Amino acid sequence: MLTRDLAIAAYDAGRIVPDRLARKTHRQYLDYAERMLEIYRGGIGQTRRQLHRAVGAVFGNEPDCPARRIDAFCKLLDDVATYQRDTRGRAAALRRDVFHAAAQRHPLVRQADRLFEYEEARVKAEIAGRLGRSWDEIDRELFADVIEFHRLVGFEGYPSAAALLARYNVAQVQAALFGAVSMTVWATDQFKTILRYAKLARLMHTITRTGEGRYCLRFDGPASVLRRTRRYGAAMARFLPALIACRGWRMHAVIQTRRRGYQVRLGLSSQDGLHSHLPPPEEFDSSVEQGLAQKWGPAPREGWLLVREGEILHRGQKVFVPDFVFRHDDGRNVLMEIVGFWTPEYLQVKYETLRAFQEHRILLAVASTVGQRLPELPGEPITFKSGLLVRDVLERLQTFSP
Amino acid sequence: MALSQTSLVFSEGTLLLRGMSRDEVSGVFGPAPWVWDQRVEAWRCDAKEYTAVRQRLVQAGRALDDEVAQWTPVRWPRVDIHRLREEQDAAVAAWDRMRRGCVVMPTGTGKTEVALAIMARTAVATLVVAPVRDLMYQWHRRILEGLGYDAGIIGDNVFRVRPVSATTYDSACIHMDKLGNRFGLIIFDECHHLPGPIRRDAARMSAATLRLGLTATPERSDGRQVDLDWLIGPIVYEMPISAAKGQTLADYEVVRIPVHLSAEEQVRYDQLSGEVRAYMAQRRQDNPDFAWEDLCAETGSTPEARRALRAYRAKQSIEDRAEEKLRVLEDLFRLHAGEPCMVFAGSNAMARDVSRRFLVPCLLSHCGKHERLEVLRGLEQGTYPALVANRVLDEGVDLPEVKVAVVIGGTASSRQAKQRLGRILRKSGNARATLYEIVTADTNEERRSSRRRKSDAYQGTRRRRAGKRR
Repeated sequence: MLTRDLAIAAYDAGRIVPDRLARKTHRQYLDYAERMLEIYRGGIGQTRRQLHRAVGAVFGNEPDCPARRIDAFCKLLDDVATYQRDTRGRAAALRRDVFHAAAQRHPLVRQADRLFEYEEARVKAEIAGRLGRSWDEIDRELFADVIEFHRLVGFEGYPSAAALLARYNVAQVQAALFGAVSMTVWATDQFKTILRYAKLARLMHTITRTGEGRYCLRFDGPASVLRRTRRYGAAMARFLPALIACRGWRMHAVIQTRRRGYQVRLGLSSQDGLHSHLPPPEEFDSSVEQGLAQKWGPAPREGWLLVREGEILHRGQKVFVPDFVFRHDDGRNVLMEIVGFWTPEYLQVKYETLRAFQEHRILLAVASTVGQRLPELPGEPITFKSGLLVRDVLERLQTFSP
Repeated sequence: MALSQTSLVFSEGTLLLRGMSRDEVSGVFGPAPWVWDQRVEAWRCDAKEYTAVRQRLVQAGRALDDEVAQWTPVRWPRVDIHRLREEQDAAVAAWDRMRRGCVVMPTGTGKTEVALAIMARTAVATLVVAPVRDLMYQWHRRILEGLGYDAGIIGDNVFRVRPVSATTYDSACIHMDKLGNRFGLIIFDECHHLPGPIRRDAARMSAATLRLGLTATPERSDGRQVDLDWLIGPIVYEMPISAAKGQTLADYEVVRIPVHLSAEEQVRYDQLSGEVRAYMAQRRQDNPDFAWEDLCAETGSTPEARRALRAYRAKQSIEDRAEEKLRVLEDLFRLHAGEPCMVFAGSNAMARDVSRRFLVPCLLSHCGKHERLEVLRGLEQGTYPALVANRVLDEGVDLPEVKVAVVIGGTASSRQAKQRLGRILRKSGNARATLYEIVTADTNEERRSSRRRKSDAYQGTRRRRAGKRR
């Protein structure tokens, strides 16, 4: 991720537009990205300062490139680079030796006279002799632990030049989000992933159902209810790559700029062509789910249509997205949750969740493992051995009254 | 259905109140501070309201299930604090009447001792918030020396929380949502840093009932010092800098030494100036109002503007690292041979130049805490004759017995000047302290220095201009 001071954005009629390098408008950057990666790949042994200067030189004649963009690329490259860190404090130890030796001879003067006899050059030569190394060598290593003088020892890199540019584009949106006071996501799909990652980023949610299979998810933090605060902007930025990896969403964030009280909007959607470095979420949690969905097919069976992750159940900060929703032509809705492998503890947690949402019609399907007895569960779950049968499910669905 | 009891808990830097209806809440509290939070179905407010909220609930006679305060009393293993001077005593007494508020005392007049005395008598879990890591470690050391307690450290990649801990503003702001209910007393060192828009969360998200702010200069350029009033408390004690000078502090004088660029530097400097000027002139042909800000804005779109900006920075660097400064420094080292000496540089590069030329230790951000302590102790005990630093030591780092300071660069801000000056104002018998300012003549640097001298830390000081050197 970038730091806030590396953010580049344009402002247009109350909207913030983070810097974006697109193939159409910035074709030449693909070549620059390749050259930057080359510099790092071939830069083992060089200092951070040398690498950053080389990266700067790539853009020497590029008319369209703010200095900050170059710094941002350096940060993204450094993020996947390993520098030699002076963990054993060798430079510090060398400094201690040198400064201690020189302390008795202070002040080191350019030219000795009757009052001060310690000449700089002589003292340095003397210390070098005592340490058994040349002064040039000592001078080079005296500050080797300063961050600009760290040397590159490894470069994990990015899969391709295009991947580096993609990461840059996402990173600039993240940098804009550092100033966010709230984020609203209109989602139609993959609710489980979106909500799970928001929770991992320690965001709080407010969920509103806007239609069948459509939700408005507002994300912020505990103190957001008291004041507009940028405190949770970094969490929203952390969450962003997971959102971008999903499909079927539109996002809107309110950003507080550094000028006091001045607010702008940031808009983004899954159609905007940003690429996350995270893989898209798995379509199915388990093969049992996948098996049932495939057997059921896209068309209704006896009036029942199967929809994946179609509903979000929520109370306060507790959420539950059942695996499937069965929607009947006549308006009936039944939720289904499948439990494949389980331990008694896991089943207990599932049971608590179901109890919290017991006003909903939830059908539970549990794998019956040999030798393990199911604990008491509400509403008589369907049990299955290797896969769920369409017939069994249909039979149970019919028992739910209209 | 039984009436649920009123409960108050700490939740991520805020308080949550449950078991009271809207009418009851407005009856007991009026319009503030509670806000209904639908997301968790409870009333929410900032943790800093804890003292007031609790008082109101008790007054209203509500049976309260209060789980907020998780702090404990502290037993100090060994209290060993110097006897306080009269004005320090007065500061402690003034704070004790309110038990929350700011104490304003000039640097070098023993703010730390005042804080330790307050800690000794409150004897409750305490968090000390310091501006930078050095100062955090310094507090750790002072607490160990004065109260015999090995305090926790929160910051600098360490997260060791103990009932008494030291931290930095940044770490406090980040972690206060988890730590806000574990300290009954919170101390903000150099508390003028607190009112930043995000940083203030360090006070807002804490439930501490006892609060102490320490500073030499409460004023901020953005005027936000007024917020200290509700973040910490009112100013309970103020000691003016003029009262400190000459009595508790050593007398001091400021000597300004202009230096000139060498012939080579001057050539290069003029060449760079020319580049910048040429670009500006060229752009002003189309746009007479073309300003420096426009140039900065253009660096994104024209390589020429980028080159002009680079030339400007190179020019600044020449001023900052003028060779003659090192020669003047040699003379000052000669003049004050045998006396510990502090040098403040305007950049890391210049600090390293000084360090390499004279082989005196330099304190920069890359130094680990052991090295910093070793260097500071070394100066104190006379193992090291001098040290050079940049901004790391801008504020309040303890440097006893230093009577000679040299400023060879830096930006003009009133507080920075005061803090730096305060550094050499340590009481040490009748010895006089001297602050030397080495500035490049006929450049921007000279302007910065004259702005610096206008700040009131210099009021009433004797000023000398050393002979022009050429």
